[in-house]
Parts: sequence; structure tokens; C-alpha cells
Amino acid sequence: MSTAHLIAVGSSPLGKTDLPGRDLFSKALAEAFEELPDPADVVDGLYVGVQSERYENQIMQGTLMAEWAGLRNVPAERVEACAAAGALALKNAVRDVRAGVHDAVLACGVEKMTAGGTEGATNALGAAFERALEQRSGITAPATYALLARRYLHETDATERDLARIAVKNHRNAAANPRAMFQQAVDIETVMDAPDVAPPLKLYDCAPVTDGAAAVVVANDEVAADLQSRPDAIRVAGVGSAANNLAVAERDLTYVEGANVAASTAYEDAGVGAADIDVAEVHDAFTVCEALLAEAAEFAPEGRGIETVEDPGDRSAGWTDVRINTSGGLKARGHPIGATGLLQAVEAYEQLTGRAGERQVADADTALLINEGGVADAHTVAHVLTAQ
Amino acid sequence: MTEESNSPMTDTDSTTTGPLGPEDITADSPFTLPGFFDALAEGRLVAARCTECDTHLLPPRPACYDCGSRAVTLSEQPRTGEVISYTSVNRPPSAFDHLAPITIAVVELDSSARLTGRVAASLEDVTIGDRVELRVYDPETVDIDPDFDLSYEEDWPIHVFELR
Repeated sequence: MSTAHLIAVGSSPLGKTDLPGRDLFSKALAEAFEELPDPADVVDGLYVGVQSERYENQIMQGTLMAEWAGLRNVPAERVEACAAAGALALKNAVRDVRAGVHDAVLACGVEKMTAGGTEGATNALGAAFERALEQRSGITAPATYALLARRYLHETDATERDLARIAVKNHRNAAANPRAMFQQAVDIETVMDAPDVAPPLKLYDCAPVTDGAAAVVVANDEVAADLQSRPDAIRVAGVGSAANNLAVAERDLTYVEGANVAASTAYEDAGVGAADIDVAEVHDAFTVCEALLAEAAEFAPEGRGIETVEDPGDRSAGWTDVRINTSGGLKARGHPIGATGLLQAVEAYEQLTGRAGERQVADADTALLINEGGVADAHTVAHVLTAQ
Repeated sequence: MTEESNSPMTDTDSTTTGPLGPEDITADSPFTLPGFFDALAEGRLVAARCTECDTHLLPPRPACYDCGSRAVTLSEQPRTGEVISYTSVNRPPSAFDHLAPITIAVVELDSSARLTGRVAASLEDVTIGDRVELRVYDPETVDIDPDFDLSYEEDWPIHVFELR
């Protein structure tokens, strides 16, 4: 089995932009290949994560992205698992490289969420939830997570203010991330006083509607060694994924079991444990998710995930020293659905290669990524990345 | 809204258990969505029950997600249960716009089966542990944009919980 290396990354501006999806992809591609030969001379396959064709009325995104990268007559496939699509693209690329199917693969993701306004995004995202009983009851993404948050606050000591502190922490991190959509801090009163979206979740508990794209190059040992212009490639050491329940009613509301399975599988694959992880990008589509995922990833004891905001020395016994969502997370870096899993990989790349600037975590050499789709862990993809 | 049916339910399981054969998967069977909603329109909420681990599956399906067994049987569900979690959809999908804010809850029925549904009460009047009862309405009496429905959904009833 070949080792899979992450040799280059790129992202588009994140936020409401005047560029359609394919052009956002061009931006991400241009950055990823700034110091590389033409994509056609590097990769021989492509996966693209796209949540929904509703935004731009375009399927066949594999073919389109391949064309825009100058690739023809190579396998190029769109993958979909709502917000886990980006990590699914990465997972498939890693699998192909490890198996020797391809020497190098381009994994990318793109979403043009603002094309249909807030209503368009609400309707497109609503398709991720169970149709027969839940969509037909008028459910939305914030509402499904509010059902989790309400129960979490009921079963643990956590308060709405604890959730608000997660948003404050992620905005503070994003203020040091030039890629982030919201590069400004917010104070806790702003978060607490914001309008309700789906109580107990308020505006700042929710990731924004975001346009954006990301692209990463996954390569085997030979290709990584040949491209000496990027000698600081990192290794994709572990992969795990799991599907759990689609309907929110049928899932455990306070334990994301599927995410635990995916993370545990990735740890085992990489030969590491939770305590080895220095930095983690976890899927904080809503503030409560970060607490739930800190527990599922075995960073935090049950019910103490909210201490993600504390410095490691100030956390309860049983917590690891991990730093979570140094990028600002989905909350503040932005959440262009199909690209999000790859934006997590971009942050890991920057942290593990010492390129994270003001937000650099000292001596970071192992990262965990958790990307989810549907409500909570309806679909989870986890990766462990390590410095070489 | 007018109520179509409110007959009490019995807890009689069907006698056959899975694995289902291809001939069992028909639009008359509650193991399919058309059969499930036909039963609901008649006032019967039908789940599948795993005969290996007793997990309830709502709507019914051919296999248990919890233990993997296909030894599933149909089980009529009680109409009453309690609120496990709840929220309010302040910005619903466009077809539900005029109903906003929509109070919505996950309800655990007295059988332990769970389902999500709207609650006919304002958010302030609902809390975890509240007792609720299932009501089923003809879709024509529920004010949801008919364009929301797929062609095969047009006659499917809409369920709502009422506080007891």
C-alpha cells in the first residue's frame, strides 16, 4: 500500500462573492498549483464534493471541474453526502492513491450557496433531512441541531452561554485566519443578544451561508518526492467513515456515535490515539456540534465538550490538550457545504507545515479532521494527518 | 385544521416476521411509504418492530438499524407519548413560511418508538417531558403549499402533536 501525501492546497475567497462555482474552483486550483506543473501532468483522477445542484442547476460537476483543470479522459466524479461531501472527495482520493489505482488525485469541493438567497439555501439544505416525516413537518438544518442542543442542555450542566463561548472562540480564531469569511472577533453579549434562529440556537450559533471552493492534491511517494518544490508535504495517515441515522428522531440526541466510529477508525488506521492529536478541525455547523464532537473524538469526558473553549491547562481531568478549530471553524471561517471538508484539510496542512501564522499551534504534528453531513453524524468522514 | 381520525390504537403485532420477500413489498404494505400513510390516514400509526432487539422503526423498513436483523414485524403504535426535545423553526422552508414560527418536537411514544412532528402550541408552552397526543389531518385541510408535495405525496396525511 502506498502512503498518501497531501502535497498542495488551495482555497477561494469565502463569503458572498460575485464568482459562480466553477470560477471559485478556478481560484482554489490556481493556488494549489501555484508551484506545481499543470494538473494534467500531476494528477490522473478527480473527485469533487458538491452538496446540491439546486444552487446553480448544474450536475456533472466531475466533468466540469476536470475540464477547468485541463484534465480529459480521466476518472472525474462528483460525490455527495451533504456537508461531508468534501471529506468524501478526500477519502476517495486517498483510497485510490493507497491502492495504487492512481499516482495522484485532485480532491476538491465547491458550493455557490448564495445563488438562490437565504430561501434557496434553506430549501437546498432541507433536502438533507428525512423526507416522509421530518421535511413534511417543516424542519430545517438549524431546527434539527436545536433539537440536539436542547437535549444536550437538558442532560448536562451546559448552558446557552457555554455554547455562545464556542462561537466567541471560533470568531477569535478566524480573526487570525486570512482565509476566513469573518475575520473579526465578537463578544459574548453580541452572541447572547442575537436573534433566535431555532431556540436555543441563535444567529451566532449557526455557520453562515457561504460561497467557496477548496482543492488539495493527494499523491503517492514517488509523485510527492518528484515535486521537490513542496518538500513539506504532510501524510494522510488515517481514514474512517460511518453512516448513522437519517431521521433526527431515531438518533441519540446527545452522543454522535457515528462520529466516534469514524474517528476511532481513523485513529486505528493511523496508529495514534486521541491524546496524540495536537489540532483538530471538527464540524461546528452549529456551536453544539463542537461540544458533541469533542466528546465523540475522545478529547473530552462525556458532557464536558463545552470546555473546548478553555486553554488546555484549565480543562477538566480527562480532557486532552488538543486545540480545536484553529481556522475559526465552519462558524467563522465559513461553510461552503461541499468545500468544507477540504477547508479543514487546508487548515491542517497549514498547521502541520508551520504556515498558520498568528494562529500557529507550537509543535503541531498530528491533526484530526471530522466532517459531517445530514443531521449530526448522519454521515461522518474522519482523517488523521501527520507531519512527515 | 379538522381532525380526520382519533380512534384509540391497539398494540397488536402482525403475525409474520421478516425477512420480507419481494412479494411483500407492495404499496398496500406499511413496509412501504404509500402503505404506511394509507394506514395513518385511517388512524393507525404503524411502526416496524425488530423481533431480535425490540427497536421500533418509524416509518417501517425491512431491516433493523440497531442490530441488523431483518426479523421485523409490524406494530401498531400508541398515539400518546412525551416530548424528548423541541424547538421553534423561525425561518422554515418556503412552503411552510406562513406557518412560522413552527414548534417542532421529537416525541417518544409510550411504546418507545420516536418520531418528529409539529406541535400545535407556541414554544413557550412546551417543555421536555410534556405529554402529547398524535393527531392526523387530511393534507387538504392543512395549509401547506401544495407545490411542496411530490406527486405521490399529495394524499398523504399530515401529523401534528397536541399537548394533553
